[in-house]
Amino acid sequence: MNTPTLTLLLQAAGVSLLLALAAIAAGTVAAALLTALAFSRLRPLRFFYRLYVYVVRGTPLLVLALLIFYALPALDLRAGPYLAGVLVLTVYVAALFAEVFRGGVLAIPRPQWESAKSLGVPPGPLLRKIVGPLVLRYALPPYVNVCVMTVKATSVLSIISVWELTLASREIIERTLAVFTVLSVAGVLYFIMCLGIDRIGRRLERRLALRGFAGERV
Amino acid sequence: MIEIRGLTKSFGETRVLRGVDLQVDDGEVLALIGRSGCGKTTLLRCINFLEDYDAGEILLDGQPLWYRSGGGGQRHRVSDAEARRLRQQMGVVFQQYNLFPHMTALENVCLGPRHSQRVSAAEAEELGRRLLARVGLADKVAAYPAQLSGGQQQRVAIARALAMRPKVLLLDEITSALDPELVGEVEDVIRSLLPERIMMILVTHAIGFAREIAHRIAYVADGTIAEIGSPAQLLEQPRDPTLKDFLRRMR
Repeated sequence: MNTPTLTLLLQAAGVSLLLALAAIAAGTVAAALLTALAFSRLRPLRFFYRLYVYVVRGTPLLVLALLIFYALPALDLRAGPYLAGVLVLTVYVAALFAEVFRGGVLAIPRPQWESAKSLGVPPGPLLRKIVGPLVLRYALPPYVNVCVMTVKATSVLSIISVWELTLASREIIERTLAVFTVLSVAGVLYFIMCLGIDRIGRRLERRLALRGFAGERV
Repeated sequence: MIEIRGLTKSFGETRVLRGVDLQVDDGEVLALIGRSGCGKTTLLRCINFLEDYDAGEILLDGQPLWYRSGGGGQRHRVSDAEARRLRQQMGVVFQQYNLFPHMTALENVCLGPRHSQRVSAAEAEELGRRLLARVGLADKVAAYPAQLSGGQQQRVAIARALAMRPKVLLLDEITSALDPELVGEVEDVIRSLLPERIMMILVTHAIGFAREIAHRIAYVADGTIAEIGSPAQLLEQPRDPTLKDFLRRMR
């Protein structure tokens, strides 16, 4: 493989990473809001949460991508493939993140809630000082898991003409016919990106570890 | 002063409290004893509204807690904000300490004053350090709960409850989860509070400790206060036959 080809693949990998990071950021915010709905006192909001999670989680990402890509123009919304791509991924990972966060909230032992209750902690500080930090700790491993999946899921966006690592690879293959070389390099690049995210996750996990507990260093 | 009138509470079909009437005066230490499942812990939890109750009234210094009566015999819960305000007048210490695991001892103690009572950070910290010193943990302010023994955690929990400057301390079997050799240090902390004449209601299986510190002991059986009196009276001349039996078994 010559240098220009490799450079091209690296650029495409950069695009994939950016798409993933954008979706992770937007998806995290959306998921936090969704999780709030899951624990709302209002039934319609809880119902909306379940509906959203079931529908999105129960749809193949490929179908979701095509659906959103073609639906946007039909709704008179003009978005390029990149914006549409980030939107697709965001919608998708928001559902997955929301379930991760919901699990984190459910993992908080009831006595912790009662302690906070008996101290009369208002909702704001309750969220910032107790629920947030605890959910972060409980949910971090599955959260990182979804982040890694998001990187790989960007490859689906090639179907809606987002130029990222998979589409770039296919273009190069069409020109050079070097199927195995190009796909191997692409695979390694995906692997490195996933590994990087996993390493960041591990570091964060160590930093947030509840001090004094067994399993502090895993 | 706490007044409880006609408190009833059921969990499904099971009637846990069947009309409890109780009055606890300022500065009084009241111990609740009784068989497990008799309703004593539920009663304590109702006072802090950690459990809701079906009927009856709880008043603190004459103000009705948790429910307001509306028109036509209806009652409705106080708002969340009001419940928070009312809870700040009480301190609860739980059997399992229930410290926040991601916070240091000092942060645990400061949380209430800082965020519920909106005391300044500096003032809350000063109070927190003073209270931790009081329970003998001046050198543990920066320790996390998992780095502390059960007895130390429970002392932090007591400091955390005291930080609210409560009118009443509700203590729910606070030494039951502790190794025997750690019970003494927690009991000592409670003893050291007696001169302050803070109202305490404690659920306990430690009859000896109850006899020593309580002004009155209430024997709870079948969801009511079956017998109440001074420790000497109640423990030495019990009238209720089930209480006699209970005391014999505890010995």
